[in-house]
Amino acid sequence: MGLFDRFKPKAPAPEELRRQADILMSLRGNRIPTATLERLQGAASGAKPWMATLTPAELLITRSHGLKPIAAISATCWLHYGFSWTLGHSQGWEAALARLAQEAKACGANAVLDVKMRTIPLETGESMDFTLLGTAVKIDGLAPSPDPIIATVPALEFVKLLEADVVPTGIAIGAHYQWLSDWNNSANQAWMGNIEAPQLSALWNDVRNRAHANLRESARPRGNGVLAHVNFSQMFDREREVNERKFKEYLARYIVIATTVDARRGTPLPHDISMVVDMCAGKTPLQGSKPHHQSYASNERDGAI
Amino acid sequence: MTLDLPAHAQERLKGLRGSAHSTGVFTSDFSVNEFLLVRKAGFEPIGLCVGSCVYHVGIQYGSWSKSQEMDVLSKAMYHARELAMSRMRAEASAMGADGIVGVKLTIKRLEWDEQLLEFIAIGTGVVHGEGHKGFRAHDGGPFTSDLSGQDFWSLLHAGYRPVEMVMGSCVYHVAHRGVLSGLGTVGRNVELENFTAAMYEAREIAVERMQFEAAAAKAEGVVGVDIHEGSFGWKTHVIEFFAIGTAVLPLDQEIAPDKIPDPIMVLSVND
Repeated sequence: MGLFDRFKPKAPAPEELRRQADILMSLRGNRIPTATLERLQGAASGAKPWMATLTPAELLITRSHGLKPIAAISATCWLHYGFSWTLGHSQGWEAALARLAQEAKACGANAVLDVKMRTIPLETGESMDFTLLGTAVKIDGLAPSPDPIIATVPALEFVKLLEADVVPTGIAIGAHYQWLSDWNNSANQAWMGNIEAPQLSALWNDVRNRAHANLRESARPRGNGVLAHVNFSQMFDREREVNERKFKEYLARYIVIATTVDARRGTPLPHDISMVVDMCAGKTPLQGSKPHHQSYASNERDGAI
Repeated sequence: MTLDLPAHAQERLKGLRGSAHSTGVFTSDFSVNEFLLVRKAGFEPIGLCVGSCVYHVGIQYGSWSKSQEMDVLSKAMYHARELAMSRMRAEASAMGADGIVGVKLTIKRLEWDEQLLEFIAIGTGVVHGEGHKGFRAHDGGPFTSDLSGQDFWSLLHAGYRPVEMVMGSCVYHVAHRGVLSGLGTVGRNVELENFTAAMYEAREIAVERMQFEAAAAKAEGVVGVDIHEGSFGWKTHVIEFFAIGTAVLPLDQEIAPDKIPDPIMVLSVND
């Protein structure tokens, strides 16, 4: 082997090609790629080691509450948004969710914990990857579920919720966008002094209401409530000219992402709550929530000199 | 040890669908802990309430050498927030909420126009689990508060209930110093009394306005007061003081101070 041989492009081995083709065909056929399926089934049967994204402390909580990790599972959908950026987000996450659910089912899980939503920060044209990562778990004494729940919350919060008869069941996405063409340029009333821009207020109101309606629609099959942790909104303007008439157009987009819950109303949390003062320096509402000085904030540097 | 799960939770984990809920889907931006604590306090979230307002803020020039309130800007900042807040409260009333917890009030500048500001108020509408109406504000509408779920639980256990999120704003122009007075202080440390006085006046106006709102809401006091100092793209000597807090009243059944348990002291091993 010559010194520079390693820099020459190497023809892929036949098994590599087979594997790549298998992944592609499986994704097209809505199946789990063979190698992944084997890994998951191995972990489920105990023939292969289990894997969990949990920290040791979280492992302690899961064990003491009768949960057993099976496998770290993940799903991706890399989507090009040719028609709508906003709706592409909803579509991309939904596709990844369906794939994640498939993997969870394949390893005989009752639930997937600690599901994280990830995106690689690559600016590759009009596209983005929608990736989910979580830990499939089974619960002692329960048969595998045909429809495992997908929980975005970590292990501790998962058991806290379950004890209060609140089941975190999945992820719901609501997205909407809308254009406003301001034909007679009346949205811009810069000459007026203090005044609301009612068209823009109304545009926001519409877009947000539709996004939230979509969110509820997306949540309804899975539960009776959502805890919405991501509210993302943007507005843009652009100049247009049609038939020598200049006017402005405004685009408003709104994405809201939430954890769906199935909550029995009126079931109390079966724990007493007492206030605790932590003697370790850290955030506690008993010491106020605002910083106590900001006069020298800019003078601080992290790390050794 | 096996998790002692409620039957309904077990069914869901086995993959069985519960019976359809008659109540529809509630929405909230609570964290898990907030959600559990608000329920522990006897309330149920019913929906996210949002009010927004895109506002064109007028232009006002302060006179160079005079400290004065910029009333055009003060009014704009107050009016726009009030519009956003009242729209949010109207949404809450429409869904039959007894109150709104965790209100976040934010201001965003729209990038293409310096004078266009967007004001958003967002919070979670809640109802009392047993239909107790005594938590509503003095006008029978929902209470509003910027308290988190944790703060809400603590406030109720301190013997108080939130009534209304109150605020006061004052945009103020601080006078520039004259050239001659600048010469007089070369090489000396002196207090710039005019600047100090300007800060006092502006802050006082904002706090008084907030206190006035609390009195109008028939509150006993205001918790969680913060006085922000901010500037939203104005000239260097123009500053906004914005006071905000939650006006509170004692609970109908007052809790005697000696009945409130002491906090437990712990030392966590976190970094």
